[in-house]
Amino acid sequence: MPERVDRDGTPAYRFLGVEVTRREAAFLVLGILFLFVIPDIASLSDSLQLSVIHQGLLFGFAAVGLNLLLRHTKLTSFGHAAFFGTGAYATAVLARYAGVQSVGLLLLGAIAAATVMAAIIGVLSLRHTGLYFALLTLAFGQLLYAIALGQSALGGSDGLPIRPGPANQPLLFGTAFSPDVYQVLTYYLTVVVILIGLFVMYRITQSPFRNALDAIGQERTRARFIGLPVRRYVWAAFVISGIYGGVAGGLYAVVRQYVRPEGTLFFLRSGDILFMAILGGFRTLVGPLIGGVVLVFLQDVGQDVTQYYEFLTGVVLLILVYGFPRGIVGSLRSGGIVNTRLSELRREPSVLSTWSRNAVQSIERKVAESLTSLRIILFGVD
Amino acid sequence: MEQTTTDHDTGGIGRRQLLSAVGSSAVAAALAGCSTLLSDGETADQSEQSGGEISDEPIQAGLLTFTRGAPGVLGIQAQRGAELAVQRINEAGGIGGQREIELDVVNEGSNPLDSYNQFIEEGKEVTFGPISSGTHSQIAPEVEKNEVINVSTDGTVTTLYEETVPDPTYSFRFQNYDIMEVVTMAREAVERIGADNISTVAGVNPGYSFGEDEMRVFTQAIQRLTDAEIVYEGFPELGASDMANHITSINNEEPDVTFSSLWGGDVTTFVRQANANDMFENTTVFGTTLYSAAGDVPGDALAGTDIYSGSRNYYWGLPAPGNWQPGRELFDAATQQEGVTVPTAHYMSGYGAVTAWATAVEKAIDLLGTYPTQEQIAQVLEGHGFFTPAGYHNIAEDHQGASNSFAGQMVYDDDLGAARLEDVNTYAATETAPPPGVTGSDWLDSWSA
Repeated sequence: MPERVDRDGTPAYRFLGVEVTRREAAFLVLGILFLFVIPDIASLSDSLQLSVIHQGLLFGFAAVGLNLLLRHTKLTSFGHAAFFGTGAYATAVLARYAGVQSVGLLLLGAIAAATVMAAIIGVLSLRHTGLYFALLTLAFGQLLYAIALGQSALGGSDGLPIRPGPANQPLLFGTAFSPDVYQVLTYYLTVVVILIGLFVMYRITQSPFRNALDAIGQERTRARFIGLPVRRYVWAAFVISGIYGGVAGGLYAVVRQYVRPEGTLFFLRSGDILFMAILGGFRTLVGPLIGGVVLVFLQDVGQDVTQYYEFLTGVVLLILVYGFPRGIVGSLRSGGIVNTRLSELRREPSVLSTWSRNAVQSIERKVAESLTSLRIILFGVD
Repeated sequence: MEQTTTDHDTGGIGRRQLLSAVGSSAVAAALAGCSTLLSDGETADQSEQSGGEISDEPIQAGLLTFTRGAPGVLGIQAQRGAELAVQRINEAGGIGGQREIELDVVNEGSNPLDSYNQFIEEGKEVTFGPISSGTHSQIAPEVEKNEVINVSTDGTVTTLYEETVPDPTYSFRFQNYDIMEVVTMAREAVERIGADNISTVAGVNPGYSFGEDEMRVFTQAIQRLTDAEIVYEGFPELGASDMANHITSINNEEPDVTFSSLWGGDVTTFVRQANANDMFENTTVFGTTLYSAAGDVPGDALAGTDIYSGSRNYYWGLPAPGNWQPGRELFDAATQQEGVTVPTAHYMSGYGAVTAWATAVEKAIDLLGTYPTQEQIAQVLEGHGFFTPAGYHNIAEDHQGASNSFAGQMVYDDDLGAARLEDVNTYAATETAPPPGVTGSDWLDSWSA
């Protein structure tokens, strides 16, 4: 049962180590409820597809894992698809060659494979930081992609089905379901897994371990001097982050019942996952999840609207990056840019003209700067 | 266009014989390319139709195909073919003289499974497509689960009905599949050069599953037909800009036959660079899908080459029953459409998939007097035979379509402004496909040397 505690004078509740004020608790409950009613909302509208939101949540979940590295250790990984793909391919291999039918066992296999893979890649790439680390993770990711593409046992470019046993599909609770029911049930499974994953990540971010990671992220040498086992801690964070990717990949494969290299292992997938974290707000816990849904949704809707949907998503993303530098969730927070601007507008509606004037001025300034740069590039400094 | 019809230019076919031959309906006749043989404005005998039993609600159909990028070279052909078939059905009064078809086309891009599921959610009564083998392996089991018939245009992977969906009910494939087109080219090589003259073979195939499968089957087939040894295998990436190392290797080995399953823009790259390096002085190229680049490959690149290409199951102007050429008529109709320079076998993929389904539904309506269920249409499709301008096709009990395949020398035609095949050979399905229930590799293994 939740117990009441006092947080700086405001009453708060503590439950399972999660401490929230009344308002935060309301948001939390609403958010969880919303996740659970999405299938009903999706069934009302043609443009809203459950499978798209589901996929966004899965990639977003991988981004939540990546965020552990990004937010605290300040390491940028360009190879997170490696763990997503490892998880996905592990389920396919288990289903095809070991005949494993249970969704639970398939996911455990995905977790095990991703853990081993993250441990190995972590040891090999964490000797370096910054750009070299990013390039190494990219290289390992592409190596796995090449292996999946080249091995006919892994289906090559055609990929592998996850359709074990006589039922020709993975089993939930030992039972085969029709495609539409299976889609909804696996969605609820995803929601449960995500809630557990977010809870675990929250506990990690409330722990001394997180403080140690922050210290490492800020100044490695100093962290080593105060006696932190830097390499071991960063490696542990890397493995945890990889497990999140593996779970997401395993679920993705079980949901789609098919895995192909370009959807799971290609380096652009890593870029997507990294981008989701930044888009949603990498200084927040649920930001990457929201970023995942938004990005996948943009890509999907864009395809129906225009042939140049990549351009469309690019423009939307540029607006987000320039307008909301802390990401979607980061900007919506109290004290974030959106709230600040809204309260200004309420106090003084004429502030709009100031904003537009500022916007025009900053555009003019940027154009002038670009022209100067162009002149220097073309004619040199004179 | 006013056209008077006499027995002379129909190869001796009268209207009555024609209608009974193609399945006694206006739709079947229109799809067979015989609409010109029906006198103006006359459709099938409506009194035989139990029109009252059938709603006039349009049939919602979906087509999954590549509409963009490199695979769009094949995908747009399939789309235009399907669109023309739908147009002809609707002009002939719709299915059962009642129901027109509305075709919804979706790009088989990054998430084909989602696009397919959306078709099902929208309540499509039939789906067509896809183009890629990987996509087909992915959606065929879904088709079986959703119990809505899919007649695939391509996705010609050999293992589909051998391993992926070994006992299909609702999934059908119209187009000749990989093993058929490869065996066609192995037979074509023997036909043109002679088995005794083939002792060395090389391969240049696209570097993904399709290309690897094609080369493996060709090796198996050619080594059954000849004593050839494989001297070189190259697998350039899709869209590779430089094929020099493969061409150099072939020039060094001088193989009697070079097998290639390159398609689309890769054909132009390969042929141009091979020609520049005098590769055709050292080898003859035999390819399954080279002709898919017909509208793309320029005349100067083809000049002085020695290339034989298959054209799966369609080559305009063939077969020519008498002097009447439905294939040529289809060619003219196709080139009026946007994005079709020359209709290739992939055009027929789309046209034939729609035709297979539409003629089967018409047959079912004839039998039942009402509009059939998915299961009934599926039963009629098993063993269903029908005409298109490419000739006579049959969907076997194992759900695999069987058609004659065509192969000839690929030359540039100045009048056409595109490549065409010269001196075309026709191969019956019995020569190129295993009998139903026998896997491709078992069948090849069983050939007597």
